[in-house]
Amino acid sequence: MNDLTQTIYVVDDDEAMRDSMTWLLEGEGYVVACFDSAESFLKARRDDMRGCLILDVRMPEMSGLELHEKLDALGSELPVIFVTGHGDVPMAVSALQRGACDFIEKPFHNEDLLSRIVRALELDAQLSARRQRNGAISHRLDQLTQRESEVMKLVVAGKLNKQIADELNISMKTVEAHRARVMEKMGVRTLAELVKAVVTVN
Amino acid sequence: MADAARAAKNLAMLMRPPLPQPKHTRLWLAPYVAIGVFALAMLILTALLQWRELDTARSALEGDMHWAERTIENRLHAHQDFLGELGREQEFKQLTYEAFQVKAGRYAREAPEIQAIIWVDTDGKVEWVAPNESTAVFVGEQLTGERLAALQKALRVRTEVVSADYRDATQRPAHDIILPVQRGSADLGAFIAVESIEALLRTTLPTVFTTRYSLTVVDAQNREVLSNSSVKPTDRQVSGQISLDLPNNRLGLNIVAYRVGGAWLPFVPAALIIVLTLIASVTLIQLRRHAQHRADTEEELRTAYAFRQAMSQSLITGLRAIDLEGRITFVNAAFCRMTGFDESELVGIKPPYPYWPPEEFDRLQNNIDTALAGKAPASGFEMRIMRKSGERFDVRLYFSPLIGTNGQQIGWMASMNDITEPKRVRVELERAHERFVTVIDGLDSAVHVADVQTGEILFANRAFQNIFGFDAVGQNSAQVTAACRPPPEQLARDPQQIGADELPCELFDGELQHTLSGHWYHLHERAIRWVDGRTVRVQIGADITDRKHIDDVNLQQQKRLEQTSRLITMGEMASSLAHELNQPLSAIANYCAGCVKRMQAGNYRIDDILAAMQKASDQAERAGKIIRRMRDMVKKGDPNRQPIALEELVDETRAFADIDAQRTGTQIVVDLPDNLPKIVVDRIMIEQVLLNLFKNGIEAMSDVPVERRLLTLQARRVDERMLEITVADQGHGLAEEDIEKIFAPFYTTKAEGMGIGLAICRSIIEFHQGRLWVEPRREGGTVFHFTVPIEELGEDSNE
Repeated sequence: MNDLTQTIYVVDDDEAMRDSMTWLLEGEGYVVACFDSAESFLKARRDDMRGCLILDVRMPEMSGLELHEKLDALGSELPVIFVTGHGDVPMAVSALQRGACDFIEKPFHNEDLLSRIVRALELDAQLSARRQRNGAISHRLDQLTQRESEVMKLVVAGKLNKQIADELNISMKTVEAHRARVMEKMGVRTLAELVKAVVTVN
Repeated sequence: MADAARAAKNLAMLMRPPLPQPKHTRLWLAPYVAIGVFALAMLILTALLQWRELDTARSALEGDMHWAERTIENRLHAHQDFLGELGREQEFKQLTYEAFQVKAGRYAREAPEIQAIIWVDTDGKVEWVAPNESTAVFVGEQLTGERLAALQKALRVRTEVVSADYRDATQRPAHDIILPVQRGSADLGAFIAVESIEALLRTTLPTVFTTRYSLTVVDAQNREVLSNSSVKPTDRQVSGQISLDLPNNRLGLNIVAYRVGGAWLPFVPAALIIVLTLIASVTLIQLRRHAQHRADTEEELRTAYAFRQAMSQSLITGLRAIDLEGRITFVNAAFCRMTGFDESELVGIKPPYPYWPPEEFDRLQNNIDTALAGKAPASGFEMRIMRKSGERFDVRLYFSPLIGTNGQQIGWMASMNDITEPKRVRVELERAHERFVTVIDGLDSAVHVADVQTGEILFANRAFQNIFGFDAVGQNSAQVTAACRPPPEQLARDPQQIGADELPCELFDGELQHTLSGHWYHLHERAIRWVDGRTVRVQIGADITDRKHIDDVNLQQQKRLEQTSRLITMGEMASSLAHELNQPLSAIANYCAGCVKRMQAGNYRIDDILAAMQKASDQAERAGKIIRRMRDMVKKGDPNRQPIALEELVDETRAFADIDAQRTGTQIVVDLPDNLPKIVVDRIMIEQVLLNLFKNGIEAMSDVPVERRLLTLQARRVDERMLEITVADQGHGLAEEDIEKIFAPFYTTKAEGMGIGLAICRSIIEFHQGRLWVEPRREGGTVFHFTVPIEELGEDSNE
């Protein structure tokens, strides 16, 4: 179940916490990467990072919340689990409202943490799959000629061949030919599939 | 229709300026001069005419005189010739008495002026008389006097002589024509023709002549002999004199022409001219007076007109006259100014007028119909009209009938006032009043104003009415507010005794309970001068029931807090320590869980497990230290005073304070001199004081720049018994009044503070017989000082 491309990134200023967290998660078979501050994580961050981020709320300099905001702004889709201390719960709730994946309060039970990690990684996997699928459909769409994509848009909009021919000022036969090529290039067999593919991307 | 047109014309004339006044010149003298010249010319003309007439008369006279002279001369010559004939016959003795009688008688009858022809001897004795019947002379009559003298002269000179004039028997003037007769040198006698001068004139001159002229015969001595008229003409302008030189006599004939119409006649034209001139002059003077009067009246009229015109033009009120059909006949400058139309664009226009905005047509048409029907309201119409530029503005229009000079109504006069500004002001005032009322009514304090003398409520806001009833205004204040009113003896002054010059004046400021509702009010009452000048009491009552309640609760809370303050401080500290405990506990849990997983899976290396367990054990120890420290802090019971080095205390306190210090970037500098003596204190208590002071200092510098966030701790020995420790920050400092109060319980300058920290600190220090005080730092910030006792030095001073 563990996708080998997924990594658990731990950001915590307490050395003991980082070390124990690594020990625990590696024992579960995860790949773990630790950072002692939000700044060092930002420095190392890449767009294709996959997995999840375990973030301590209280840190000197940039706090976990601030890092989360920065990542949001950068368009990161990495799921985030906040680790909060006593009294930080309202802070964590507000982070959740802003799109964080989850939070866990210290001291925590390791099963709680692990189940949250599992959920976060599943979310990450879904997001990543969608990115890939969208990428494939986009690729196919790019291969359409301009006229074909015009025809396709009208087809998807539910227009009949005759209407399309009138609108684009071409013959019915040409429309049929374009339509057949669109279905072929998009790798779909039915109109329903075509509509689904286009709607997914858009 | 025609009447209306005429009326409009009248009105237009009324409004038009009169002709300008002619210049005051000497021109008015011209008629007088003309009249004078004319009169003079007429007089000259008349004189000329008269002179000419006179001339003509004189010419005629001269002609007549000439003729008369010739006629008389001829007659006399005829008489002389006849006498000469008789003489010659006598001389030659050819003449007999009878012949003489015949000849002379016949001649005398033919010439009536010859009264008789006589023959006298040289002595003057009449011998013959012819004709016989003559009564003038009788035969044998002796000539006497002048007649005889003339005869003798004639005999002597031997030529014809005419005697001087004499009166004959009938007393009529007569003279003798004497012809001496000689024969040889002897005188025979003389023939004498007795000639009546009157008859001479009568026979020689025709009647026409005598009626036309007055004739006077004068003798040689210029004595009047005869006159044909008893009336002597006074005017001798046309007169002449004929002088007939008779031998030895002279017959003078004065001729004066009778003037037709009398002597005054020539003066009539002149008199007439003068009279007419006088009349003309008088008339002219009257005329001039009239003209002057008229000019004066005109001048008055012009002044009045100019005044009215100026009034009309300088008025800021627009004036508009319309005839009975609504046609505009006049507009003044202000009206043009207001509407922006020229007079020429308005006069003669019938409704709808060009300054009517299209959207107001119906209303304005209705207004003008009402006005023309004579039913315009006395308060005028308020309407919105339009300038030429299209801008709308509000006016008020008053109508009044326009009465013409003949007393009949010729139209309607309307005065127009621009009320845009007054309307705006009124609206502003209304709004201002509305705002005032809104604000006053929006107050939750009850405000009312009552007359000092009568107690009548003049004004009450909504809050007041809510409490005391909505019909309060107009009622007696004492009755309405009986349930909640300051007793008279508590008033600062008797309101009825306050003079006008003492206003405004405080009356009451205090808290009262409403006897019916039980609410508490803070009443503030003053006497002021009301808008109409009388003295009134203004009372503002604020409902302080809630505040009073809160005050009570606060008081109770304060008491409770004082009791539990120490506990609360400990709780805070425990919370802080619990937070620190989270870290080692979480780490231990992780290590253990990791070990368990690996051992369950059976996939592990013993060295890894050992290392992890070792780390877990280290973390457990870390947690233990924290717990111990916490236990030390919360440990109850009597203070445990023991000798302790200040450095140790400070280091332990810093461990806590550093958390906040790092978070805020504050630098804590501990500057302690060497070989400070140990102090005898309860370690936890003094740590608490230090922590409190550190935290205060850090918070005090939260709004100064980071580089200034410096907290300094210093210590010095004051004397044998006490050590002074100072904690100085460079923060915002304390206000002077705060320095007095910050040690009071529940006084705080911090937004979230409880206000008990420093109070407890002071209690702790005083428990140690020390002192805690605060001073402002010269460079800005605050310095806290406290003193604690020093260990009484025994034998081991080296420690």
